[in-house]
Parts: sequence; structure tokens; C-alpha cells
Amino acid sequence: MKKKEKKRSKWLVNTVLGIISIIWLIPTLGLFISSFRPATDILQTGWWTIFPHRAWETTVELELSKDVDLRQPIEIDGTSYTDEELRKGIKINDQRLIWENRRARIVNVQDKVWNMNTDFTLENYMSVLTGKEYSIMQPDGSVRVEKGSDLSQAFWNTVAVSIPGTIIPILIASFAAYAFAWMNFPGRRVMFVIIIALLVVPLQVALIPVLKDYTALGLNGSLLGIWLAHTAFGLPLITYFMYNYISQLPRDIFESAYIDGASNFSIFSRLVLPLSVPALASISIFQFLWVWNDYLVALVFIGSQPDVQVLSMKIADLVGSRGSDWHLLTSAAFISMLMPLTVFFLLQKYFVKGLLGGSIKG
Amino acid sequence: MKKQWRKSVVSVLSILLIFTLIFAGCGSSATNEPTDEPSNTEGTATNDQPQEQPADEGTYLEQAYAGKFKGTKVSMFGPFADADEVKFNNSIKEFEEKTGIDIQYQGSKEFEATINIRVEGGNAPDIADFPQPGLLANFVKSGKVIDVSTFLDGSHLKSNYNQSWIDMATMEGKDGEIMAGIWNRSNVKSLVWYPKKQFEEAGYTVPQTWDELIALSEQIAADGDQAWAIGIESGAATGWAATDWIEDIMLRTTTPENYDKWVKGELSFTSDEVKNAAKKMTEIWFNDDYVYGGRKSIVTTSFGDAPKPMFDNPPKTWLHRQGNFITSFFPEGLEAGVDYDWFYLPSIDEQYGKPVLVAGDIYAMFNDRPEVRAVMEFFTTGESIKTWVQSGGVIAPMNDASLDWYASDMDRRMAELIQNASTIRFDGSDLMPGSVGAGTFWKGMTDYASGTVDLDEAMEEIEAGWNK
Repeated sequence: MKKKEKKRSKWLVNTVLGIISIIWLIPTLGLFISSFRPATDILQTGWWTIFPHRAWETTVELELSKDVDLRQPIEIDGTSYTDEELRKGIKINDQRLIWENRRARIVNVQDKVWNMNTDFTLENYMSVLTGKEYSIMQPDGSVRVEKGSDLSQAFWNTVAVSIPGTIIPILIASFAAYAFAWMNFPGRRVMFVIIIALLVVPLQVALIPVLKDYTALGLNGSLLGIWLAHTAFGLPLITYFMYNYISQLPRDIFESAYIDGASNFSIFSRLVLPLSVPALASISIFQFLWVWNDYLVALVFIGSQPDVQVLSMKIADLVGSRGSDWHLLTSAAFISMLMPLTVFFLLQKYFVKGLLGGSIKG
Repeated sequence: MKKQWRKSVVSVLSILLIFTLIFAGCGSSATNEPTDEPSNTEGTATNDQPQEQPADEGTYLEQAYAGKFKGTKVSMFGPFADADEVKFNNSIKEFEEKTGIDIQYQGSKEFEATINIRVEGGNAPDIADFPQPGLLANFVKSGKVIDVSTFLDGSHLKSNYNQSWIDMATMEGKDGEIMAGIWNRSNVKSLVWYPKKQFEEAGYTVPQTWDELIALSEQIAADGDQAWAIGIESGAATGWAATDWIEDIMLRTTTPENYDKWVKGELSFTSDEVKNAAKKMTEIWFNDDYVYGGRKSIVTTSFGDAPKPMFDNPPKTWLHRQGNFITSFFPEGLEAGVDYDWFYLPSIDEQYGKPVLVAGDIYAMFNDRPEVRAVMEFFTTGESIKTWVQSGGVIAPMNDASLDWYASDMDRRMAELIQNASTIRFDGSDLMPGSVGAGTFWKGMTDYASGTVDLDEAMEEIEAGWNK
């Protein structure tokens, strides 16, 4: 009896979770499909029209007399309709009447038929990957096509920002977490509380003061500057996360290591680090995703000079000054997603362990 | 028991400590601001040098061409990116080669938000490009912008710019009025676009007066189409396209002085002048026979998508009032002057002549170094924008920009329109403070167009933005 109940509740949970993940996936799927559709199609029809669906298709075109007054009832096949009805389309039995061309007084008679939009293209990916083409008119009237820069520079810039931006804070935070968990020194509690309290400070309030200091130090627009910024903004959470994990390691190992004469540094490097691999891996994913997708910090501390510009900024600029090329965002989003996805799948087996890292306490 | 109590006291104390630290930090930076020197350390270091220059060496631009500033860098920051950035870099290439000054342009779509942080953070660019003079005015007020009239030759500026442009660049600074920047690019807003070929085939003629314009709309309606393509949807900025209509009609139904007062907030939105303009607009907007898709589609149609049905074959709609930038939203493969063209949005009352509504980019200077001065001087010449003008899509506000440069007849006529205008006025919503010009004005017009409020309520809603 009990077993059955348990099974049923498990089934229920799985269904609910399944539905939630499908709901979460639908927009991504839509984006993915859109990224392969031509720009004009994206503007006109939804991505779901690539699946078989029933749509109106014209079978006959009726030409009315040219001098039909549109503001009077319009007579077609003995029935009269208003202009309003014909604009929206009016259903008679299985057919629909709708204006094809009001000026020429042509009315479409449409049937519902099965339809599919199967026009796909790689153009969105091409123009994102190899750079957009700008046609620039020359003084002599000819048109010169100038190729915009491709994504590779921005991609490597982002790699150069995110890898140290992930490793540095995690390294520092693990040292700190070990110290907070297993070392006794005056002011330990106070300092730890300060770090926890910093979790609630939004990074936006720090932008202007930090920028002032960077200007004085000449760190603006340099890689070192943004590494430091990401390190500082990431430290509180990572320290807290690592502290939760490291403080749960069994006390006995530390005691025996200490008796054997190990120093704090060798305890840390030989015991704590290898034991915390799951936690390190999962916080790496968090921090890497955050740095990779970051726009604000990069915008303020690095700027959009082409030689240092990161991917998120490059992608935002793809749409053009007035946003007319937004269809390119579809493919750009998937390209920028590749790297985080790779990192995620490489470290995935630690991920779930890490998610629980802060929650189960002895 | 005692120990526990002690523990919690420590925690409470340390949290208090942090918050006092944070607030102290915020407080001190806030009080420091006004005393901060206008720009950065580099600027002040070289500050005295320019004044000591003997006059006989010529202007900074001439010195630059003589190679005096070779190897220096000038940073520039602005909102245009992508294709515009390519065109801009092309237009300064020759100057850079001749003078050896490297102009490093950074474009960001988040310009409006970022420029504030950068200026406050002491990392101001040497030159910033403001499409909204209202935003620049804030920096001028706090004394962070350098007065360009201190080193630019006034008589040269007067001869090279229409007086309206110079007036628009003069702003209230910390210690009196200064010339806050120079105009480098402009675009024209009072244009009505139409699909030329089909327009002529259908036997329509370009209207010269407002009444003719309404008559044309009526004629098109009788022929079976809704004449006007209107769309004001633009994400968070929905409604801006409607403000341009009101501004254009204001210029045609009241005096330029009233327009200026209105922009400054001295003439209320609830006044008869403004209401009259809104009513004039609704002659077209609220007539379902005139608007493609009817009134209800105005707020849901994106401003960029609105003109597209004009280029269906046959055109589904015929007229579209928008600035010259809209051509970048037109479908590809259309030929300017053949497939589409524009006419001037006609006058309504003859006594106000032919006013033109414009927008443009003003370049302001944050750091005072000789090479920056040279670059600023360069930007006052038509030469600085020549190749951009030749590639189309922009109008030079300077008088020494030759009309021959324009790539198409269409652009040339726009430049002529500006040069011959009886009154030039800047897009009012860009001049008003953000709470109105980029706030209630957009929202109020959207509500009015969608029919959720009536005219009086809409105008009161907009006016309320001045008190924010």
C-alpha cells in the first residue's frame, strides 16, 4: 500500500517536472527554429508554422466591378457584405472571403488546406559568424561592400576574460573558506559575517566608485581590471558556497593530518582541494556562466573597442543602431551558448552534487 | 547562554558596521561630486599648455595638419554602432592619416546609460556624441563639459552654421551660458515617404497644402486603400514616433516662440496650442479609412515595420511620415528616387512659413587637450562628414558641405530643405527632460492613440511629467 503510494507520488512529481521543463524549452526551441529561417519569414510568420498546420489558401479570385463603392454593402454572389467584413475575412461554410486587393476590387475565395513552411537558410549564421556586409555607396556612385568584423576576436576576448575571471575568485575563495572553517584567528566571525553581508550589496552601487579608482590606477579597458572586478563581485557567493562544503568535511582527517605534522597549507592543498572537487566544479559552472554572459561589468570596465570587446557586447551591436537586424540575434544567441553548454556538459556530473552542496548539513 | 548572547552581538555589530561603511561611502561620493574637477587627470595636467600657444601658429586644426599632434590618441564615445560605425570610421580616415591623430571610436547601444557612469567615474571620453541635447544639458549644468567657444573661431562658426544650430548648442552651464558642443550630423524629420512609381501610376500628385494632403488621403480611401502607414510601437520607447507628429504639427500651427516655450515647459501641454496640434493629428490618426489597419493597429505596429506594406505590389498603403533614417528599414533592393521618394509635410497655416523639424548629433568635449581641440575643430567642417554624406543617410548641418556630395537627388533635396527652411527646430521630446520627453510624452501619446484616455486626460498625464 505504502509502496504504491510512493510510486504514484513519484510519477506525479516526474510529470510536473516534465511539464515545467517543456514549458521552459519551448521558447528556446522557437529561437532555435527561427535562427534557421530567412529574415522575411521571421517577420511574417511564427516559427510554429514550420509544423504542418491548416491555413487558408486562395482557390479563386473574384474580380468585382471597378466602380463598387466600398462604403456601401458589397454584393458578391447574391449576398451582400460590408467592407469591414471583407477586410477581416468572412466565413461561409468551409470557405472564406477576403480582400486580395481592395484597389483593384479583387476578392479571394479561400479554402483551408494543410500547410507547412519549410524554407530554411544558414544565412543568419553566416552573417553572424563571418561578419555582416555593409554596402557603402562611393562618391562615384558605385557600391562598395565592406565586411564587418567576425565573431572570432570577440570570442577570444571573452575566453580571455572568463577563464581567469573564473579561476582567480575560486582560488581565493577556497583559501578563505578553509580558513574560515578550520582555522582559529581573531576576528574570524566578524570577517565572515561581513562577507556574507556583502552578498546582498548589488554590484551596481560599486560601479562608479570602482571606475574612479580604476581611472586613477589606469586599469580601465585592461584585462587585469575586469578580472579583478569579476573576482571581487564573485567572491562573497563563492566563499560562502565553498565554506558550506569545506566546513562539512569530517573533523577527523584534519586532526590526524595535524598530528602527523601537516601545515595548514599542505592540509589545504593535499586534503581539502582534492576532496572539494565536486563543489569546485559546480561553482565553476556558476561563475563561468555569469562571467560569460555578463554585459554590464564588461560594458563599464572594458568598453566596446573592437580589440577588447566581449561577445555579449558584440552581439548586442549586431542588431544595428536602430535595431533593424534583430533577426540575427537568433543565431548569435546559439553561437554564444555553445561554450557555456560545453563547459556544462563537461562538468555536469558534479553539477547536481554541487547544487545540493549548500543544502545538506550534518 | 552568555556565549550565545555575545555571538549575536558580534553579528549585529558587524552588520551595522558594514552598512555604515557602505552608506558613508555613498554619502561621501555624493558630496564630493560638485567639487570634482570637470574631467580627468590627464586633462588638467595639460590644461595650461593650450592657452600659452602663440596665436601665429594658426588654429589647432592647422597645427594638426602640420603634424604637430602626431601619435596622439583621442577617444570618442557615441550611440551609433554597426553600419554607422563603419561609415563614421571611413569619414575620419583621411584626417587620421594626414594628422597622425588616432581617433578611437567606441559605439555602444547603451550609450545613454553608460555615459553617465563614465563621466561620474572620471573615465569620460574626450569627445561624446549626444543625439539628445537634453541629456547633454545635464552634464553642462554640472560643469563637466568644456566650453568650445573658448577656442573655436566664432565668426567661422557663424558663417558655417545656420543660427538655429548655434542657438541649440548654447546651454546653461555652471557659470553662465556656454557653447556645449558642435553639430556634426543632422537628420530631417518633416518628411512624408511614398512609393513613387506606383504613386505616379495611380495618378496621385504630391500635396502642397494640408488640405490637399487630406484630400489625397480621401482620394486614396475612395480608391480602396488606407493611405497612412502609422506605427508607434518601439519596445520600452513606444510612443516616440507620435511625439514627432505633434512637434511637426506644433511648428505648423503656432509660432516658433511658442514651440520653444513648450519645449522648456513654460507652455503647458494642456494649453490650446498643444491640444489643437493633437486634434489636427487625429484628423488622420483616428480616421479608420485613412490609417492602414485602422486606429487600433497604430500602437501595436512597430515603427520599423509600419512602412513595409507600402512596398507590396500593389502597395497596401501609401504615405508614411518619418525621419530620413527610416530608409534603412525599407525592404532591400529598392531604388531611392525611383521606388520611393519623399515630400515635405505640408504647411498648415501659411503665416508660419516652411518650418522643418530636425534631429541631430552634437559632439561635446570632456577633456581639454590640444589634439582634442583640433579634432573638435575638424568636426565643424563639412569635410569631416563628406564620405558619410556621399554614402547616404545623413545630412550635413554645415554650410560648407557641398550639395554635390549627396549621393542621391533625394538626399540633396533634404539638405536644401534644411538650408531653405524658415524655421529649424530640434525634436522637442529630445530636448525636454527625460521624465517628460522620454517618459510621459511617449506614454501619454500611446494611451491617447490606443483610446484608453481622451485628449484632456492624455495632456494632463503628459504635463504631470514636468513635476517628477
